[in-house]
Amino acid sequence: MAAPERPEAASSSSIPDYECVNVNSKAFHIGSFRDEWLKRLQPEDFSFQQLDQDAFDAKFAAEMGVGEETMAELRAVCSVDSLRCHPEDQEPDREVLPPSPTLKTLIHRKKLTEKKSQKSFRNRHELYAGELDRQTVGMVPETKADMLPEGEVIVTVNIYFPTNLGKFNGVRPRMTLLLTGSHTLADLRDAICCVSDLQVCGEFSSTPDMVPDFISKDLFRSAFFFFEGVFYNDMRYPECQDISSTTIEWAKSHNYPSFSQGKMEDTRFLDLTVKLGFPYLYCHQGDCEHPVIITDVRLVHKSDCLDKRLYPLLTHKNRSLSQKCAVCHVFIGRWYTTQDQFAPSDPCLFCDKCFRMLHYDKDGKKLGEFLAYPYVDRGAFN
Amino acid sequence: MDFSRKHVRSDCEALLRRFQKTQSVRFEVFSNIWKEMKFAQIFSGNPNNNKEFYHLILDIAYCYFLPPFSFQIRVGGLYLLYSTYHSHPASTSEQLQIRVALKDWEDVKNFEKDAMDAQHLDVVYILKRLMICKALQFTAMPTLLLYRTKRNKQKPMLCEQFIERASRPQELVNTQLLEEMSNIGELYKNMKTSIISQTTTQENAFVNLIRKEIVPQLCTTVLEFYNWQQGRDIIDEHKNSHERTSSQQEHSKRAELLASIKSKAYGEASEASKSRRHRQAERSFSNEEDGSFLKSRHSRLMKPSLRNRTNKQIHMTGDLGKEAIRATLISQLVTMDPALEEKTKNQRRFKF
Repeated sequence: MAAPERPEAASSSSIPDYECVNVNSKAFHIGSFRDEWLKRLQPEDFSFQQLDQDAFDAKFAAEMGVGEETMAELRAVCSVDSLRCHPEDQEPDREVLPPSPTLKTLIHRKKLTEKKSQKSFRNRHELYAGELDRQTVGMVPETKADMLPEGEVIVTVNIYFPTNLGKFNGVRPRMTLLLTGSHTLADLRDAICCVSDLQVCGEFSSTPDMVPDFISKDLFRSAFFFFEGVFYNDMRYPECQDISSTTIEWAKSHNYPSFSQGKMEDTRFLDLTVKLGFPYLYCHQGDCEHPVIITDVRLVHKSDCLDKRLYPLLTHKNRSLSQKCAVCHVFIGRWYTTQDQFAPSDPCLFCDKCFRMLHYDKDGKKLGEFLAYPYVDRGAFN
Repeated sequence: MDFSRKHVRSDCEALLRRFQKTQSVRFEVFSNIWKEMKFAQIFSGNPNNNKEFYHLILDIAYCYFLPPFSFQIRVGGLYLLYSTYHSHPASTSEQLQIRVALKDWEDVKNFEKDAMDAQHLDVVYILKRLMICKALQFTAMPTLLLYRTKRNKQKPMLCEQFIERASRPQELVNTQLLEEMSNIGELYKNMKTSIISQTTTQENAFVNLIRKEIVPQLCTTVLEFYNWQQGRDIIDEHKNSHERTSSQQEHSKRAELLASIKSKAYGEASEASKSRRHRQAERSFSNEEDGSFLKSRHSRLMKPSLRNRTNKQIHMTGDLGKEAIRATLISQLVTMDPALEEKTKNQRRFKF
């Protein structure tokens, strides 16, 4: 027959494809995606063991029916050495631009460096980013039980933090986490560090020494994730309420398509149907919302961190600026005062020492009128 | 580095264009061009963003490896991937992989099959080498998707010359098909004449289920198409230089720049200034990983904090350590004068 045979059409929901090119993909089920890959690959393709060069050559020669001489020639021609662009003993310095570049990229780069002149600030964020990688990349655990199984799926999730729009400098602070397919959404929730979880409620001007009993993380434990029309609630603790029910009821009353619910702790990533690159929602503390984007789903690779215990793995976190005390500009602010007759501004931030020096006398009596709240700095997780 | 994306793309296209001119698919030829252009230098002079740049090149090379490009260009794309993978000056711990998406796997396999059928040993060898070296990472989508709606307003122009010439008509109407069709035509004619000879009425002579002369017509049409394609290619080559107009205009450049700044919202880290971590900041609000309920499933390793890691990795003994500590501005602001320190030690401490 002239018409080419169509291969059996796999269920289109498992093979991810673009919905909008380079923006996001269509929704697909992660578990079936993994099965599709495993169907198409041989076990040695995704195993962590690497085949030896000679063994590979022998196998190739046997498969293709190639003689010894041809094999040797092939190996010589295709070796990496044949790509060397510089004479054998002169290893060029990678930091320096070559003298007379012909490639457009290099010409452009030269122009940029000339414009920048000497200003190459290695910012600390990048220095520490490398350091974070060194802790985790290529880590192999001692015991086999802690090793990630071959064929496991790694999901990369970006969680974005709220930012002050007035001073928006083009970067949304985010943290990037790597999780495996068998992790649940509850594991993802626990790995997210948001300063709003550490807030302490209450006014403490008359009792500054009283250690607060609870932080908000322990008090308001409800949270949900929203993926593809399903709200996944956290129901692990008796205090957790279903905070998504308000939204669901509202949607019903306004004739929106209905949403469904699920449990965060029972849903693994392998069970999820998601779109890659599409923003979803994580809400906790009732009103603290974070956009969540799943950027990548792939099979685990030999060069990843193979230690199961290190997951969920933090690969990137933007550092937020810490607010300093208004008085000394040295320590990080810990007290937030309003209606304060001593403070230069309303509201005002103080570190512990300056706060006590200004507002309390030697015996610890409160001087003057003010309201004081404990303040958690945005950069607490830096 | 989005600003260099178009430069990298044009460099890759230049390389592939030269490769295409040689009309060969041998790796030797490719590596000669590579050496001539000194392509490995593309990694030099780039102190930051090595990882991103590397991913950029691999992404660009990867798209040349897939349809709709012609077989030779796809071979060139494969060689480019292989060469880039091996010339990256990275340490082994940072080996960065070539991402292969699930939807493209079919095409990769077909490509391999074509190469094997045509006995292009070096193509197959290099492809298998890449698989064995674990250079490939099996992913859902070819790139990381970050919901960048504002960028890439213009679609990247696929180089016309690289695209495989449409050959579906030729594939469909091949000699086998024509033979079969003419056979069936003959059979039908014979059947018709035999039936007509049996019956005596003349009307049936006008029954015609098939078009007469369909086979020669098909043949000539396809040949015409093929010749037209050939002719068009030759004409294209002649007006090659005139067709390369630049698609960027000045005002759109500025708009692009603005859009790129705005859309960095979901983009990579920029140089956020790091706050000074201060020793005195109380750690009572710090969040220790609460692994109590995680322990039931996976035991989670507690990573040592940055301060501990630094202390572990940098050993400053004795005086040198104290000297280093004394030198920082923060410590000078915070530590009191030794004389004053003595005085406060002797005083009674307040009680709040």
